[in-house]
Amino acid sequence: MATNIRMFTKKKLPPCCAACPAHVNVQGYVSLIQRGKFKEAVELIRKDMPFPAICGRVCFSPCEDACARVNLDQAVAIRALKRIVADIEREKGRVKPEPVQKTRIEKVAIIGAGPAGLTAAYELAKLGYPVTVFERMLEPGGMMRYCIPNFRLEKFVVANEIAYIKDIGVEIKTGIEFGKDITLESLRNEGCKAVFVAIGTQLSRKMNVSGEDLEGVIQILEFLRAVSVGQHVDVGERVAVIGGGNSAIDAARTAKRLGAKEAMILYRRTRNEMPALPHEIEAAEREGIKFHFLVAPKRIIGENGKVKAIECLRMRLGEPDASGRRRPIPISFSEHQYEVDSVIPAIGQIPEKSCVPHELLDEKAKEALIPVDEITTETKIEGVFAGGDIVTGPASIIQAVGAGKQAAFSIHRYLSGQDLRAGREEVEETTWVKDWESLRQKSRRYEAPTEKPRLSFEEATRFLEETKRKAMFEAFRCLGCGPCSECLSEIDLCERDKAVVDENLCTGCNICAIVCPVAAIEKNENEVAQVNEDLCKGCGICAAHCPERAITMQRLTDENILTCALTALRRRD
Amino acid sequence: MSAEKPKIVCFMCNWVFCDETESAISQEQQIPFDVNVVRLMCIGRIDPVVVLETFERGADGVLLIGCTPPDCHFVEGNLYAERTVKLLKRLLALTDLEPERLELRWSSPIEEVRLIQILTDFAAQMHKLGTSPLAGEGPDEKVLLNVSAAKSAAADFRLRVLTGREKELTENLNVYGEEISQEEFDGLIDDAAKTEFIRQKIYLLARQKPRSVKELAIVFQMKPASVLRHIVDMRRKGMIALDRVEETTPLYKALEVQ
Repeated sequence: MATNIRMFTKKKLPPCCAACPAHVNVQGYVSLIQRGKFKEAVELIRKDMPFPAICGRVCFSPCEDACARVNLDQAVAIRALKRIVADIEREKGRVKPEPVQKTRIEKVAIIGAGPAGLTAAYELAKLGYPVTVFERMLEPGGMMRYCIPNFRLEKFVVANEIAYIKDIGVEIKTGIEFGKDITLESLRNEGCKAVFVAIGTQLSRKMNVSGEDLEGVIQILEFLRAVSVGQHVDVGERVAVIGGGNSAIDAARTAKRLGAKEAMILYRRTRNEMPALPHEIEAAEREGIKFHFLVAPKRIIGENGKVKAIECLRMRLGEPDASGRRRPIPISFSEHQYEVDSVIPAIGQIPEKSCVPHELLDEKAKEALIPVDEITTETKIEGVFAGGDIVTGPASIIQAVGAGKQAAFSIHRYLSGQDLRAGREEVEETTWVKDWESLRQKSRRYEAPTEKPRLSFEEATRFLEETKRKAMFEAFRCLGCGPCSECLSEIDLCERDKAVVDENLCTGCNICAIVCPVAAIEKNENEVAQVNEDLCKGCGICAAHCPERAITMQRLTDENILTCALTALRRRD
Repeated sequence: MSAEKPKIVCFMCNWVFCDETESAISQEQQIPFDVNVVRLMCIGRIDPVVVLETFERGADGVLLIGCTPPDCHFVEGNLYAERTVKLLKRLLALTDLEPERLELRWSSPIEEVRLIQILTDFAAQMHKLGTSPLAGEGPDEKVLLNVSAAKSAAADFRLRVLTGREKELTENLNVYGEEISQEEFDGLIDDAAKTEFIRQKIYLLARQKPRSVKELAIVFQMKPASVLRHIVDMRRKGMIALDRVEETTPLYKALEVQ
């Protein structure tokens, strides 16, 4: 693992990295993939978060949404790249990391082995804390292990990532329920100095329509959990899944795999408003799952205590609501029925109130979510932190990872007796591109290069070698919006080279500012060129064009280049 | 022509070069010659002076490899390299070295096969051209002087400003709102390259010993009046000064500080 430390305090991040809740160094690992350094790329991802393979499969990839390349053609397939490097590493056999030395004595307890809890444990273990994670289920992993079906996220992938976290020295105790086997009190008595509560939202939200207690109505989380541990679930021949999120799609696809002849998804808005990932929706369509849009269940009709049909109302879309999506409005007298054998409502999750200690909750709030300080993730009780779904309500893995990192940072400062609010960097999005129009024209000026494969999610699962090349090609599309040093100097030449102006020679002709691709050079008040070191990427184009040769590069000077070239010549003599 | 392996220096963009490239190049069977790669952050980093100096020190050929447009890591670095190469070829044409000894080619990190093809083709081209007159112990004095003059011209303000501003001048209007076409600009830079080359050569010749206009006119095969115009300009710039007058012929010497 590279030992290099960031050479400057970074405030400006490329859009992908800034958009990621965990601020994973996207530009860094993409540029490593460009060079074929797959192993280093995984290690770089692991510096920011412990789940490269999991996020490579199921992340909703805010990085790709933010990618500046969309202004040119399409976003870089960041998630697929992450998956490829993680898979290659696993195929080749992951090298077991050395456990991190326990340099701290303060014990930290983490409740819940989901993405938030495991990330916090991972970050704290890297800092040398003895960390114990308590998990109610028999296996760690939380929703990643139990609620994402195997065809989207294989169990061995989750096991492998968690094994890495264990390898660096995190202790995970399973089968221990918070509130029963352990409490905040008992943990404190055992000597835990800080507790991180990341228990997630473990109950399915009810639809509140009549007939919900009939046989054949299966709650989404129970359904997915049962299937993931290998229990047989009888869904009958026709299944209706209510909802438009990823878990609804997962449930429908799972039901189809369990033998249902017909699986349908009923969603009260249209396809455009569905929160599920587009490629998941496409996959479901390919598998023959029927989508009924603009319908909402009114009641479930039973016969002999079993589900017989579901009655729905048609909807139309009204004004946008708080979530920014258009609100569905029922159309009167539009009742119609679908004959089904089972109904799986997948309309959201709520926290399990009985698990959460009362003293952490806000009594007035409708739901049993834990209120925390937005910056520090502290709860009402000192030394107790919370994060993940239990704070935000059901969200995504990467948001939970972000919360885990944030909490780990706070816990570290808390245990070191530092100000919890200090030391946090504000993230600012940056891209060096001066003018998209000229960039677009540029791509038209030349004939398109040899065929350029777009890496799709499906392709990523194909042959490794072929994929590797495609991955490099795909990574090559990255524009590298952020300042250099993003890959933390894994690429030897990049070691933060920068332009230096000799002020005595500079005549202020401004050519450097014209040729600089990243707008890092400006004339200062003395009419002398000045290099903005935060932006300079060390390309050296200015040095090659300076009429007075007043600009030199710090590392790769003209003399160095010449020496390299001449040594090359001499060697041949 | 010669049985020797051509001496080729290959400047390559850091973003084209990768582990696969390295292993492909190091496989001897694949390449009929040694090639030594000097990596740069971007091919746009290449300073014309460096290339000319490489020639001066006896390289048979210089190959520049950058990213295939429009895929430059630094947006237009490869296009800047293209302009630099255009200027270098102009200068090389004046030096009696074949401009074909310098080539700029595009590649990308996963196209080892294409890269090997580029290298092989270039080596074949070098074989055809033969060893550089500047290679080995006794370099050709005349060519050497020419290349040195070209090098000084490339280091000079005027040509560097023109190459640096080429994009700006040909794609936008200049400060007077005039449009300069690419052809017009090419003519302009061609002229400038010639002038600068002649002046730098005069300077180098005058540094060896004081020279007269007549003598220089023979070297350049130009009218003495044209040479005199250069001399006048150079005196004004402080490049040369009157050394002495022999009979009625003034002799000029180079001044050390330009």
